[in-house]
Amino acid sequence: MFNILKQVQDYAKESVQAAKYIGQGLSVTFDHMRRRPVTVQYPYEKLIPSERYRGRIHFEFDKCISCEVCVRVCPINLPVVDWKFDKAAKKKKLNHYSIDFGVCIFCGNCVEYCPTNCLSMTEEYELSAYDRHELNYDNVALGRLPYKVTQDPMVAPMRELGYLPKGVIDPHDLPSGSQRAGKRPEEIIEEMEKASSDQ
Amino acid sequence: MTLAEGVQIVSFGILAVMVLGSALGVVLLTNIVYSAFLLGGVFISIAGLYVLLNAEFVAAAQVLIYVGAVNVLILFAIMLVNKREDFSSIPRRWIRQGATGIVCFGLFALLGTMILITPWSLAPTSSAVIENSIVEIGKHFFSDFLLPFELASVLLLMAMVGAIILARRDIIPEVAIAKEREIVSTSLTLPERPREIASIGSSPTKEQ
Amino acid sequence: MNSGIDLQGSLIDTLKDFGLPPGVAKAIWLPLPMLLMIIGATVGVLVVVWLERKISAAAQQRIGPEFTGPLGVLQPVADGMKLVFKEDVVPARSDRWLFTLGPIVVVIPVFLSYLIVPFGQNLVITDLNVGIFLWIALSSIAPIGLLMSGYASNNKYSLLGGLRAAAQSISYEIPLAFSVLAIAMMSNSLSTIDIVEQQSGYGILGWNLWRQPVGFIIFWIAALAECERLPFDLPEAEEELVAGYQTEYAGMKFGLFYLGSYVNLVLSALIFAILYLGGWEFPIPLERLAGWLGVSETTPWLQIVTASLGIVMTLLKAYFLVFIAILLRWTVPRVRIDQLLNLGWKFLLPVSLANLLITAALKLAFPVAFGG
Repeated sequence: MFNILKQVQDYAKESVQAAKYIGQGLSVTFDHMRRRPVTVQYPYEKLIPSERYRGRIHFEFDKCISCEVCVRVCPINLPVVDWKFDKAAKKKKLNHYSIDFGVCIFCGNCVEYCPTNCLSMTEEYELSAYDRHELNYDNVALGRLPYKVTQDPMVAPMRELGYLPKGVIDPHDLPSGSQRAGKRPEEIIEEMEKASSDQ
Repeated sequence: MTLAEGVQIVSFGILAVMVLGSALGVVLLTNIVYSAFLLGGVFISIAGLYVLLNAEFVAAAQVLIYVGAVNVLILFAIMLVNKREDFSSIPRRWIRQGATGIVCFGLFALLGTMILITPWSLAPTSSAVIENSIVEIGKHFFSDFLLPFELASVLLLMAMVGAIILARRDIIPEVAIAKEREIVSTSLTLPERPREIASIGSSPTKEQ
Repeated sequence: MNSGIDLQGSLIDTLKDFGLPPGVAKAIWLPLPMLLMIIGATVGVLVVVWLERKISAAAQQRIGPEFTGPLGVLQPVADGMKLVFKEDVVPARSDRWLFTLGPIVVVIPVFLSYLIVPFGQNLVITDLNVGIFLWIALSSIAPIGLLMSGYASNNKYSLLGGLRAAAQSISYEIPLAFSVLAIAMMSNSLSTIDIVEQQSGYGILGWNLWRQPVGFIIFWIAALAECERLPFDLPEAEEELVAGYQTEYAGMKFGLFYLGSYVNLVLSALIFAILYLGGWEFPIPLERLAGWLGVSETTPWLQIVTASLGIVMTLLKAYFLVFIAILLRWTVPRVRIDQLLNLGWKFLLPVSLANLLITAALKLAFPVAFGG
């Protein structure tokens, strides 16, 4: 008899507890209603890529010495270097250079190892095309100057989470002079120079 | 003829055609699923006839119980038992068919004479014309129809208890477990209730 | 009991004054409320779809539809247009007739149930004396349509979804009916008008919410399950069944399911408001206020004010409940099918039965408070 009563009591207690937890969950959801949207309205607002962002690769035709280091360090030997030995000048003459961004994994090894720094990473990431062959960039396409978010008048540039001031998580409506948390590289260098000159 | 009478006659005609058509469909169609859905159509049309007879409560109850519960259960049964079986020819089938025909004709004759005997026309001031049928039904249930009402509820209660007992078979029979272990003795299988091996697709009939 | 505004009588009288015979006048009146109700229900659905998208977005810290119309209010219209112009695909080896009939069988009873939703003393299409029982009966037709479309789709997920929908709908119909029965017992009538009338007079204190707290919760849970809203949206659980019985549907047939589910949600919210939140009643008893201020009940402007306030109150209550439903959608995770049936049969059914018995006992013990 008492056993059944206890069972009923436990069951009721559990039900009440479940109701309480649902209520707590509801209050959390309700609290979210007054928070600002964290989403970036993409074509009208864009995030500023970070300093070490690995986007589309930029190539300077005139600097290239056709050494093919980029091909050798590439995990899949992707860059195509088309050169011919110019007997008169006793030098390699570069005819064409291309990278297929449909295959590239943007690891940045080619940029790292290029002896003449003719390859560099840009912050461009909008590479969509209607045909995958359009992603095979030749030296003209690779040599185009990259698009910059901050220079586009149609776009409101948004800072990423790591570049926001301390305690701020929303990139919208930042006051103009606000800086990111911590010291900036220039300041660190300045301090280091100061310290070394003091010694 | 006023508007109300016209509407009544037209809707009676439509409902009668619907009842007869879908009832014939239930009997004559070979696909059992169609028959079940058409049965729902029959029930709904009969509910419409009840509405025409000012028996709103009975109509709603008809829809709730026959369409919402009975017909759905029939459909459930059909859809869960997905077994295609060919009819095997039964010897002397004509006896059954004849018996069915006689019973059906008898029933039809009984109902026909009932319809012919009963005086249908009621004066609008007659006491049999009821304004609020729910109250009247309630009064009848607890006065002159008390015994059938209670008997029906006891019957339903019995059916419910039976269903619960059938549904909760917690005990796994020992024999079955032993048999199961003989068949599959891997450590990954849990002891299960014995179940029939479902025949997939149309299995060749053994009788023939 | 004041008669309030009699739209039907006045319109027919006006038409008679133009020289039309009474039968024709009546025939002109007849389709008007029906059309109004269908249009009203559809517009209500558009509003609910917009609300659902906006509130869901807010709960997830997004913006939601923004560019179609101000604040994206035209988004549901755009969705609807898209569905209308989409190709009507019928899957191969499916049952064409049942496939087409399924969505229709699901939608029509839901629209029919609007017959009994009152927005004021006389603002109801028909004041049937089976009232709320009609709603319960009609909502039991829907599982047949779901089974039909699930069976006809020639798809195992559809069939499973249809079977689940039917099982769920049957199991939650019973607690729903029991909690409605407790209300009907207190108000001595099944008519929706009488149920609201019985709650009137004391403002917010007279609402059934206080007399039926258990029934209130049971009804809400069962109504959510009947509408297949999120904690109970098993028939269309994406992770398990693709989209359940609507997997194979496209174009306007899918649109009918979509429409039907949202109309059903609004309808449940309206019925809930009528049963437990006093229908068109204002939280402060307006008639008494008018009496204290010395304004007669039959003053025309007062009647117009109370009638429009009644419509606004009913809609406000219903949309508040819709809001709660949307909030619940993003709070409570989906239950499993066995949990669903356990909750229905082992918890809600006995509790609602006990609630019914207690209501009967209280009605006998305190006939003043519980409608003797």
